[in-house]
Amino acid sequence: MSQTLELKKVEEPELTFTQWWKNVYLGIKTTFIGLKITMKYVWAVKPVTIEYPEVREELPANSRSRLFNDAENCISCLQCSVACPVDCIYITAVKRDADAPKIKTKDGTAIKLDLKQYTIDTALCCYCGLCTTVCPTECLTHTTDYEYAQYTLAAMKYDYLAPDIRAWRHRIVKD
Amino acid sequence: MANQHDNHETNEDVIILGDQEVLKSDLLTLNMGPQHPATHGVLRVEIKTDSEIVAEAIPHLGYLHRCMEKHCEHLDYRGVIPFVDRMDYLASMSMEWGYALTIEKMLGTEVPRRAQYIRTMIAELQRIASHLMFYGTYAIDLGAFSPFLYAFQDREEILRLFEELSGARLLYNYVWIGGVWNDISDEQLKRVENFCYKMEENMKKYDDLVGQNHIFVGRTANVGVISKDLAYDFGLTGPVLRGSGIKWDLRKDRPYGIYNEFDFDVPVGQGLKGQLGDCWDRYYVRVQEIFESIKIIRQCLDGIEAGPVMGKVSKIIKVPAGEIYMRTECPRGELGYHLISDGGKTPYRLKVKSPCFTNVSILPELAPGQMVADLVATIGSIDIVLGEVDR
Amino acid sequence: MLNQITDYINSKVPSANAVATTPEKGDGFVTVKAESILEVANALKNSSEFEMNVLQVITGTDYPAASEIELTYVLASFTKNLELLLKVRLPRGDKNNLPKINSVVSVWRAANYQEREAFDMIGVTFVGHPDHRRILTPDDWDGHPLRKDYVVQEVYRGMVVNPAHKVNTEDHFFGKKLKETMDPKKVVNSWKSDDDASVEA
Repeated sequence: MSQTLELKKVEEPELTFTQWWKNVYLGIKTTFIGLKITMKYVWAVKPVTIEYPEVREELPANSRSRLFNDAENCISCLQCSVACPVDCIYITAVKRDADAPKIKTKDGTAIKLDLKQYTIDTALCCYCGLCTTVCPTECLTHTTDYEYAQYTLAAMKYDYLAPDIRAWRHRIVKD
Repeated sequence: MANQHDNHETNEDVIILGDQEVLKSDLLTLNMGPQHPATHGVLRVEIKTDSEIVAEAIPHLGYLHRCMEKHCEHLDYRGVIPFVDRMDYLASMSMEWGYALTIEKMLGTEVPRRAQYIRTMIAELQRIASHLMFYGTYAIDLGAFSPFLYAFQDREEILRLFEELSGARLLYNYVWIGGVWNDISDEQLKRVENFCYKMEENMKKYDDLVGQNHIFVGRTANVGVISKDLAYDFGLTGPVLRGSGIKWDLRKDRPYGIYNEFDFDVPVGQGLKGQLGDCWDRYYVRVQEIFESIKIIRQCLDGIEAGPVMGKVSKIIKVPAGEIYMRTECPRGELGYHLISDGGKTPYRLKVKSPCFTNVSILPELAPGQMVADLVATIGSIDIVLGEVDR
Repeated sequence: MLNQITDYINSKVPSANAVATTPEKGDGFVTVKAESILEVANALKNSSEFEMNVLQVITGTDYPAASEIELTYVLASFTKNLELLLKVRLPRGDKNNLPKINSVVSVWRAANYQEREAFDMIGVTFVGHPDHRRILTPDDWDGHPLRKDYVVQEVYRGMVVNPAHKVNTEDHFFGKKLKETMDPKKVVNSWKSDDDASVEA
């Protein structure tokens, strides 16, 4: 048996002379209606795009962009790394000696662990915001900084205890 | 000619296209996709054509497969939400809502009234955004570029609102189990109200610009006709099903959330420009749905109550053992979550019934006998998002 | 409703041995014998009372403890507004001996892609399927990912899965190294299993 394929064509009424002219008329008419709308946009609507490098858009205050951990206020509770669905937060902390001077976070929580490693592999991060919502001292926050493209994967690893990242703290965290 | 054919051992090598006999080996194999603007993502359709006529079309899926269902087996119930977002990235809010409803129904969580209103409102806004995306890309498929830009202007306002609410533009993680993340302010509600007014005006204009255009009608009417029986047989849902004239909408027929309190119509295709169930009807249903969504949003704005936006959910969610199948109406059709829980902290199995996966399965049925350009119109009118097809 | 459907199935297909289960939490379901799935599907679709005209999804779930694979056919009726979870249980089998079940493509053509996905993900062979191929993973992929004992193949077409230079061992083993230099009881780190670096890729 050979396979037969019907052409998918719906029976249309025969094209009469008047029908042909009607088609042409409708085509022109509806196109002009469309052109009228387009022309309105050309002349009456102001441009909505911004010229990016010169004009930078301000993101809303709770925008979930680049992550920042203010390590001074971190109590190493590991809640963020537990909440993280992609497991991209690496924390290591060491218990403070009993005779060491007492230190506290900004909101008065006692810090009992010394933070030794706080690294976020932002190449893995999916910017879901779950880590920031569980943070008890609100030291881990999403900032509105959105220009942080990098050339290498290694540069996407943010070590928040390293001096170069502490350097841009003042730019992001407003005390 | 007849003698030549007799030489073949079987007649299976011959295909009859209309009134022409074509050797199957003479057919040209053409790869549409995986990177092709008309396939809306990374769908590859292997088509066999005789000049302009398609003899066979085989969709190849899986280019965006991330094995999300396997991932979910290792994530806690809250951590699944970001993954759910990434399925249908054009309607993330609807995806999240469906998932949250599934878990809430299992846990028996009561969602505050205000959160219910916000959820309904953003889901409908998301529907508008998604249909605007369809409107724009479908126009591009058929050769009109400016409607895409107009649609994006309006979509931008919705995205901006979502960005302010949740903090992200596309993958929101906003609808949480038990409620929503952030409250909506009065100023934002005011903006939604203004947007509704503007959108209603604009959409009428856009419909004149594209939908009523004679050339557009010529490209879409009587193309890719899906009959009622075919639609049932392939399990189609959403605007594709309603385009075939079947009045079936979960928001109306099996209401979830607070949809039973709202007054709205379910638009169905009527075959205004051609046969019932053609591409134009599917376009028409989506445009009418935007107007219905605006109606629902207005009722939400009238009815919204003050109060909390998060219900009581324990810190560590443990879903009792059992299973549930929950369906919601997403912009592209029925989204179902089949959750099997063994009482632990992670789902034992979370299966997603994705509407696009079912809808795309009708392509091999529709394509044979069509022109290549009509196939583009057909794929566009089914409106698939590959993130959801492949999961 | 579930009991009515069960009675109906048993009256139409006596060999199906349908049993309804209504748990405390969640949805109830009907379990039938795997051998009779095609007759049951036909009976449900053609019944004037239930008219299950839409196959929504086919879910496969792996239960290694019971050595069984459970297939759930989610059926719906858009005309009667019904929903039904229909279950069959199959022996789990192994890689070379996948469990077999009759295909229901002849009843609902929506089953075509759903069964292909079930074959791809959970490894169930559907007898009588017109186009029995993998759908989401490549044709030459090894294993069925949604089985609980699935292990990703180490090399696929010359590409190494999780190559060592891409795994972030430096940060991963930071805590472990620290424990070697000082009192391990004092060190707290976020990664519980220190040796398992392959978790993140």
